[in-house]
Amino acid sequence: MFSKHKALDRRSVIKGAATSAAALLATPHIAGAQAKVIKIGMPTILSGRVAQLGTSSRNAVMMEVEKINAQGGLAGRTIEVVVRDSKGQPQEAARVSRELINTDGCEILIDAEASSGSFAVQEVVKDLGVLCIHTCSETSSLTADPKIRVPNAFRVCRQGIHDSIAGGEYAAKISLAKGLKTWATCSPDYAYGRDSTQLFVEYLKLFNPAVEVTTETWPKLFQPDYTEVITKLLQAKPQALYSCLWGGDLTSWIDQASIYAMFGQMEVFAINMADYTALTVVKNLPKGIHSGNRYIKTFPKTERNAKYGDAYRAKYNEYPTNWSWENAAAMQFLAAASKKANSADGKQIAEALRGLKIESEFGQDGTMTMRAEDQTVIGYAIGWGTTIAQEPYVPEITAGNWAKILELETAWKKKSGYL
Amino acid sequence: MDLIALANCLVSPSCLVTQTTSGLIIGLLLFLVAAGLTLIFGVLNVVNFAHGSFYMMGAYFAYTVYVFTGSYALAIVGAALGVAVFSIVFERFFMSRVYGGNVLMQLLVCYAFILILDDVVKIVWGPEFKSMGMPDYFRRPPVFIAGGVIPVFYLFLMGMTALIGAGLWLIIGYTRFGKVVRAAAVNPQMVSALGINTGLVFASVFALGGLLAGLAGALAVPVRSLVSGMGFSILIESFIVTVIGGMGSIVGAFVGAILVGMVRSYGSIGFPLFVEGLMFLLMAIILVIKPSGLFGKEA
Amino acid sequence: MSKPTAHTNRAADTPSRPPIGRASLQRDIIIAGVAVAALILLRVIWPSPAITDFTIRVAAYAIFATSLNLLVGYAGMVSFGHGMFFGFGAYCFGLVMQRLALPIPIAILITITATAALALVVGAICIRLKDIYFSFITLAFQMLIYSLIVAWVPLTGGDQGLQGGIPRPSFLGINLATPLHLYIFAIVMLALSLLVMRHIAESSFGYTLRMIRDNMERASFLGINVYLVRLIAFMVAGVFASLGGVVMALFVSGAYPEFSNWTMSGEGIFMIMMGGISTFIGPTAGAIILSLLNDVVTRRTEHHGLALGIVILVFALGLKKGVTDFAADWWRASGDSKGGKQAAEARP
Repeated sequence: MFSKHKALDRRSVIKGAATSAAALLATPHIAGAQAKVIKIGMPTILSGRVAQLGTSSRNAVMMEVEKINAQGGLAGRTIEVVVRDSKGQPQEAARVSRELINTDGCEILIDAEASSGSFAVQEVVKDLGVLCIHTCSETSSLTADPKIRVPNAFRVCRQGIHDSIAGGEYAAKISLAKGLKTWATCSPDYAYGRDSTQLFVEYLKLFNPAVEVTTETWPKLFQPDYTEVITKLLQAKPQALYSCLWGGDLTSWIDQASIYAMFGQMEVFAINMADYTALTVVKNLPKGIHSGNRYIKTFPKTERNAKYGDAYRAKYNEYPTNWSWENAAAMQFLAAASKKANSADGKQIAEALRGLKIESEFGQDGTMTMRAEDQTVIGYAIGWGTTIAQEPYVPEITAGNWAKILELETAWKKKSGYL
Repeated sequence: MDLIALANCLVSPSCLVTQTTSGLIIGLLLFLVAAGLTLIFGVLNVVNFAHGSFYMMGAYFAYTVYVFTGSYALAIVGAALGVAVFSIVFERFFMSRVYGGNVLMQLLVCYAFILILDDVVKIVWGPEFKSMGMPDYFRRPPVFIAGGVIPVFYLFLMGMTALIGAGLWLIIGYTRFGKVVRAAAVNPQMVSALGINTGLVFASVFALGGLLAGLAGALAVPVRSLVSGMGFSILIESFIVTVIGGMGSIVGAFVGAILVGMVRSYGSIGFPLFVEGLMFLLMAIILVIKPSGLFGKEA
Repeated sequence: MSKPTAHTNRAADTPSRPPIGRASLQRDIIIAGVAVAALILLRVIWPSPAITDFTIRVAAYAIFATSLNLLVGYAGMVSFGHGMFFGFGAYCFGLVMQRLALPIPIAILITITATAALALVVGAICIRLKDIYFSFITLAFQMLIYSLIVAWVPLTGGDQGLQGGIPRPSFLGINLATPLHLYIFAIVMLALSLLVMRHIAESSFGYTLRMIRDNMERASFLGINVYLVRLIAFMVAGVFASLGGVVMALFVSGAYPEFSNWTMSGEGIFMIMMGGISTFIGPTAGAIILSLLNDVVTRRTEHHGLALGIVILVFALGLKKGVTDFAADWWRASGDSKGGKQAAEARP
């Protein structure tokens, strides 16, 4: 026990490079007897096959923290970020979150956990009542299901249902124009893959009832070899294909499908293609793959967004990922809510967050809103385009229709029994 | 379950050609990794749980050599030799200290290396996914045989693994080294009494195992993305292969690998959601019927 | 609690029955009582949430690791799939609480029964194999269970785990939703489990296990039904592993597929290796060491794989033994005359 305690005092924390400078600037704003520093805990995944999720989330948060601290921090309190690795294990995510709050004294959590980890963190913040923003879990039920929702937890990230509606509408338009009736799917066999695919197909059929899915393939998550899946797709000869593979799985799949010349034989809709993690990695990216945007400099086509991408790249020597914008946006919301409430107190920030509309480079129209009813973000950039082999990779993106998305989302919630 | 699709495939020549080659490709790469694993077990009675990490290192070495020289041939040679050298270090300085002891101690040492190598890869090459891309000369349209599709690179890959397999068979079956290795597998004390340096034999066996894993990594890298931790799924699959085929039997590893390849290939048509489960089921059934595996010697 | 007695009776038929020290059982009960009291006192004096969390988690792991050591250390059955029972226990308990809303003690009883049934089926198949093949087949069954948990989405929630939290209604005035009560509950569970397992290990059944471990033919020749004894050991170990899972499920208010993944079995093995397999308390010490190590290292560096790997190497190549093995050696060396019983227990 003693060695543990000793370690606590000398813990390794990551501080924004500008923390000390910002602290000087922030002096006049100090509010009452509160501590000068406010700690934000960040459970995430820094090891294993999705370590990039953690590193790019952390990069994005640190970049925003520098900006916020330079402007006086949260109501005068300088932000200090404490990042911990959960190794992608839910029980570790729970433990690490409790430790961040109980031992390190973090007053706010930025939960950059994926999937099951975020549900584990949700249980912890339900118990401990700390303000939490989920930034990497796209599973809709996390905020949509009233049984899981808690008043002190928010979500600032892309959401499965929004993505599927926008994707279904776009794909229906293309399929109507090109007469694509027989479809196949190829998605990883886990919760995200199944939900995303099922909903995409549902909305695709809603917008174009002529569509028929003839073949489904379900490779495992992190499967190294997709040959049997690819040959099965080739046998089926569909006119179009949907896939929500991502990251390294997607690049392996593309490399392996390319040598079978699969991309010339069907129209491919890979929702996670237009993410720099895949775009910059694949050598000889096939032309004309349809993809949803993740983070891309060219959409929204604003100077501010392009600048963000370039600044991030200049700082970290790589482009932002989908996780980057989600975490950066979470920090923007936090800063704006704190400003509005003129407080760094979790409860007051939470109050200010509900219904808050902020200006952001990641918003479809330059703004994003934290919807009050289910505490999740809407209005972020969402759209689809086709790839080319070199930068800017996806030159033109057709914006998704948020009004339509929200209308269908409500119907979906009713159907799922959430409303 | 989709048994109709499976039946349809089995009577269509194009489907048979495509799925069979697809099973062969999966199986043959698996065979290279599993052959090393089973060889090491056969001779040293050590289960090398770090074998998946050897495969990962092979892939990263090949990637690096390719990036610097642009030659895929050099990349293959570099990866094979690099991993072989590393295996010798691993065997001489670490594994050799826990021979004969508890199997759990060997497990601990291997696990330590899995952790260390995954982190080293992350430090040296970064946490992000990498992809080497297909070398130019393999970038050509696939070949059609009886209506079935076979990519050119996979023809090369099958040829290479067949060559390597044949070479391995010759080395183990017909050279002096092979004889010593087979003798050491049966009775190491006797081999030692005959004045043969068993330490050298053990190190060479590890080197050969590492060489095979490195080759597998290098051959896979044009079509598989690289990331820290990529060795794990390979380890599990080659485990299944060696257990099915019989720990210690190279022929068994070959049969097991092809079997697993075919189960994957045809299973994905007949039982798309239970491919993984099928493999574990196959392993459990074989273990129950013949605990030492198809070609394993009874303990 | 009726289980161990049943074993004792069965094993009593066997010719090799060492006397059970009633005094030593009393001593163990006293030690357990003092330890529980001390830990509760510690919490009262020093109400740190960090220590509370740490202890609850270690309790879950210690029950799990000790149950694994019943197999590995005492019976010589190196299971690579013990995590399946930990995970199964957590899921079974979580599902009973979520769907049936029964009182917690009843849910625990149901979990124990269900796990015993699972262990009976899995064990009946696995026990037939020996040595490394036993290890492999337990691994295969664990991966099957893991695949089932991940695939059976409507029941288990798949890879997202059991969502929505596990309800923790009060029973007998105990409210496990409060950290203090959960803390006391966890250490009492740990103490009781250790006591019962200790009693089993020191019973004639426990000595039958040691004999089978050391020489299966001889045991068989002496008329022991080796298959049955090994099967019972497998079931007992499985049941206790599931109790570890219950404590963990209560702590994180959920159950996740990772609980029954190979990593959990692996961690169990590291715990008993680091703590020492030749002493009864070794696995508990190992659970504390590995948890501490994990917590300290992940706090201090992002490259915890590297750090942990090096520590494990030092253990495996430098120390070659668990920490309590050293303590036991020292104990034996310092008091040769009274070390007889310990030596009988020590494994070559």
